[in-house]
Amino acid sequence: MRLSTIFITLSLIASIAVPPFLDLGLQFTLITALTAALFATAFNLLAGQAGMLSFGHAAFFGLGAFGVLHLMQVVERGFGVPTVLLPAFGGLVGLLTGFAFGYFATRRSGAYFSLITLALAELLHVAAPRWTSLFGGEAGISSMRMPSLGVTFGATIEVYYLTLAWFLISVGALYYLSRTPFGLLILSLRDSEERVRFMGYDAERSKVLVFAISAMFTGIAGGLAAMAIETANFSIFAMHTSAQAVLYTFVGGTAVFMGPAVGAIVFTLFAYWVSNATAAWLFYQGLIFVLVILFAPQGLGGILQTHYRARHQLDWSRLASPYVLYALGMAITAFGVVFVVHSIEILFSSSYRLAAEVEGGLPAYEMFGRAWGPLAPLTWGGPIFALVVGIALMRRSRRNIALVWADTREERVEARNLDVEEKRT
Amino acid sequence: MSGDTHILELSGLKKSFGALSIIQGVDLQVARGSRHAIIGPNGAGKSTLFNLISGAFPPTAGGIALNGRSIAGLAPAQINRLGLSRSFQITNVFAKQTVLDNVLIGVMARHGVRFNLWQFTSNMKELRNEAIALLADVRLDHRAETLASDLAYSELRALEIGMTLATGPEIILLDEPTAGMSREETSYIVGLIRRLTEGKTLLMVEHDMGVVFDLCDEVSVLVYGKVLMTGAPAEVRANREVQAAYLGEEAI
Repeated sequence: MRLSTIFITLSLIASIAVPPFLDLGLQFTLITALTAALFATAFNLLAGQAGMLSFGHAAFFGLGAFGVLHLMQVVERGFGVPTVLLPAFGGLVGLLTGFAFGYFATRRSGAYFSLITLALAELLHVAAPRWTSLFGGEAGISSMRMPSLGVTFGATIEVYYLTLAWFLISVGALYYLSRTPFGLLILSLRDSEERVRFMGYDAERSKVLVFAISAMFTGIAGGLAAMAIETANFSIFAMHTSAQAVLYTFVGGTAVFMGPAVGAIVFTLFAYWVSNATAAWLFYQGLIFVLVILFAPQGLGGILQTHYRARHQLDWSRLASPYVLYALGMAITAFGVVFVVHSIEILFSSSYRLAAEVEGGLPAYEMFGRAWGPLAPLTWGGPIFALVVGIALMRRSRRNIALVWADTREERVEARNLDVEEKRT
Repeated sequence: MSGDTHILELSGLKKSFGALSIIQGVDLQVARGSRHAIIGPNGAGKSTLFNLISGAFPPTAGGIALNGRSIAGLAPAQINRLGLSRSFQITNVFAKQTVLDNVLIGVMARHGVRFNLWQFTSNMKELRNEAIALLADVRLDHRAETLASDLAYSELRALEIGMTLATGPEIILLDEPTAGMSREETSYIVGLIRRLTEGKTLLMVEHDMGVVFDLCDEVSVLVYGKVLMTGAPAEVRANREVQAAYLGEEAI
């Protein structure tokens, strides 16, 4: 059996079998993670595969959410749509608005395309609080999930399975699409729209269609999110929502199909655990984004894929010790960063200011189970030392890692040349 | 009917960008099955002429007829479907895709498989075989699974020609196919072009006079947006006006 098949089977079994044993908070977080993962995968169809970087996908996420909530309200009044089918309506809303928005946005490319999508989403963000009949004003609209087909849809775990089913169907459909001739056309559009045109394809119509399909699956994700929390207001249209999709997708990696989904799941879980510990979690999220873009632009998925592809050529025994050293360097650096950020967070908090006023001067503060003096040399010297050591370790092992990879590449080139010569003779 | 002997006819073709007049009334007939070169000094409007014929932008005035049918002002995709395909002077391939996929997309276009969302490309055996056969024609079959971005320059130029042929054109326009190539690479590509345009019509822009006189049956000289003369290579070479305008001493 292929490694990827094993991996997919195992994650599938885990995603079905494990959640009932988790606490409610984590179950709910997994629902959020799945909707975010679908959102990112749908976004990547446009951004990664077709090469059109949308900054306005909040529009379709939000419209899908509001669409489904409106339909839920109708169902509450006795209109018979099975609850399991509700997300499809979010998809329909996304598809139709996707055609309309896409028609305008795809007339330009590059930064202009991004700006048009941004403007269209902002238009909704500004209009929604004033458009009470459709978006419920500033409060937004709410509804209740109705029991259907013998399921109450009251328990979080039931909603989780509904979300999981829609996630699998949608991501499966998007994967299928990527393997069809139209999927090939989408990739070609990214590489050279001009060439596509001169090879007999209607590039304009193709772009609108990709845009609409991406918007459709984004609408499904929005619908699922709305069903989980049973409410939505205008803030769903904010730039923040669109930015999340960009962040997940680029950290996960645009070139690998499951990359964006992995990015979304990792970040959602990260937010769940870290936001409990510190108010600076958004800062850490941003920091990770910047570091990934700078040092690993292929993203997490890209890193995994590169290793997987070279698994037979790589000298793993030579790679092991520099990788361990690199990880160690990363951990030490991370400790230094967290120490400084957390200290600053405490020193600038209102409670510390209060303590300073009461006690006078700059009193010591409590962190990691001991007291630190704000002016003590160890308080700042410690983390700086950690940063220096950590970064030095990373730089050093990075060089060794690069050497091993260079050998691997050479081997591959040699293998290919041999192969070519054999074919010629 | 003129569409029978001449596959492509330009009449009184003009193109200006604002006040700048680049093509100033070009009349040109390309005979079916011929290999026709357009030569001329830099800035004569050769690339603009190619862009007009292939539909990159519409002409300001005048007509373009393909097989007797007017194509002036049509979109590039429509012109391609009517049987005219072009290459690019600056290599224009799908860099992040395999060599096979670069050609496959053209083969799909030829068979009208454009908006297929329900079949796997990996299962379309006939189209794939056709694409592989085409790669064999341009001697790239052993590179089928390589990413286009990993190809050497001369291989890229061969791929460029393969992609131009993939949509199954009657007439192909090649824009400086040997630009930037060494002697050996040039003669290799010329050999490919000679073999692959058998039974088709070729219209090419080329700077290398050796290539033009070796490969083509007819040559048109474009100077300042006008055709100075059209004739057999020997006639063109002998013409004093052409020598003065373009060829200079070295070509004689």
